[in-house]
Amino acid sequence: MIIWISALLIIIGFVFFLGGSLGMIRLPDFYSRLHAAGMLDTMGVFLSMAGLALYVVHDFTLGNFLSALKIILIVVFVFITSPTATHAIVDAGVRAGLKPWTKKN
Amino acid sequence: MKILGKLTILLCGVLLMVFAMEFPNWGDPESPASTHLSPYFIQHTMEDTAVPNIVTSVLADYRGYDTMFETTVILTAGLACFLLLRIERKKIPHRYYRHEPTGVTLRMEGEKYPKNSAVFQRMDANWVPYDFVISRTCRLIIPFIQIFALYVVAHGHHSPGGGFQGGVIMGASVILFAISHNLRTSIKNFSEKTAALFSVTGVFIYAGTGALCLLFGEVFLNYSALAPILGGDRVMARSHGILVVEIGVAVAVTAVMIWIYYNLSSAGKQDEGL
Repeated sequence: MIIWISALLIIIGFVFFLGGSLGMIRLPDFYSRLHAAGMLDTMGVFLSMAGLALYVVHDFTLGNFLSALKIILIVVFVFITSPTATHAIVDAGVRAGLKPWTKKN
Repeated sequence: MKILGKLTILLCGVLLMVFAMEFPNWGDPESPASTHLSPYFIQHTMEDTAVPNIVTSVLADYRGYDTMFETTVILTAGLACFLLLRIERKKIPHRYYRHEPTGVTLRMEGEKYPKNSAVFQRMDANWVPYDFVISRTCRLIIPFIQIFALYVVAHGHHSPGGGFQGGVIMGASVILFAISHNLRTSIKNFSEKTAALFSVTGVFIYAGTGALCLLFGEVFLNYSALAPILGGDRVMARSHGILVVEIGVAVAVTAVMIWIYYNLSSAGKQDEGL
């Protein structure tokens, strides 16, 4: 049962990754592409890592629990750093004077 | 002079090509390295050094001289950057300050400048540090990066890692601090003098461990001689000796990374910059 839940989580995470990569190719300008990449990647990492952590703890020992804890730590750090990196890149774009895309141009 | 330099490079290249033909093929099982050295390392590492990670024991023990001079090469790189780039800090005719309560930027000229305070904050002319979110996040992340660096240094015996990798991660944490704040803040916390001192200290720890072995009446860098100091038998002394040497490498690499970054990012002036 728990294996199926983790498989489902990993697959949903991959769907998010797919959306992020599609958005990077298809969206019109720098900021919107970055928006797709930053947000969907973070969500994809969260879901697929949650799936992996669930899979690791499905036969419960201390070692497996520690592995799951390390996976959760990865998620925590990605959650802190990935949006900040996106923020920094957007900041650099604004400073370089890149205008956001509007429907007119 | 330029032609001479080009000729030298060409000659070295041709020599390299000629002698590379003589080398055994890539992954050749009949080559001397595969028939003599590798089996010995694989079979005897555990009983010789009590280090599970063969790479670490080869790097810091069997091939200790090579690694010592690698550390020296890194120190030389730092010194070369210093000697090529560093210039005397010229007096800048004016400075920029921000008055925090009103948000006004002031340009001040003259001899006397106000000290950095909560009210008056000095600004760089060309470089604006990143905003609140990035600097806070970096402050949050940097301790974890440094703990991980220490882990990589200390865990080189059992898993991939060691002095070079841990040192680079440690240096990167300070460089991250410099990028997310500004160069002056970073230099205030980890000055250039400290970096220079630490980079020499790292090499000194390595070479000093070797020299200590000489004092105990054995070959240079034969850590078994240190068994009376480090405790344990002669095999465990090798394991501990490798750790001491790795710490030396890590200190040197950390300091040289930071030192090179300081010189490169400010073009040698070290007053303002990334």
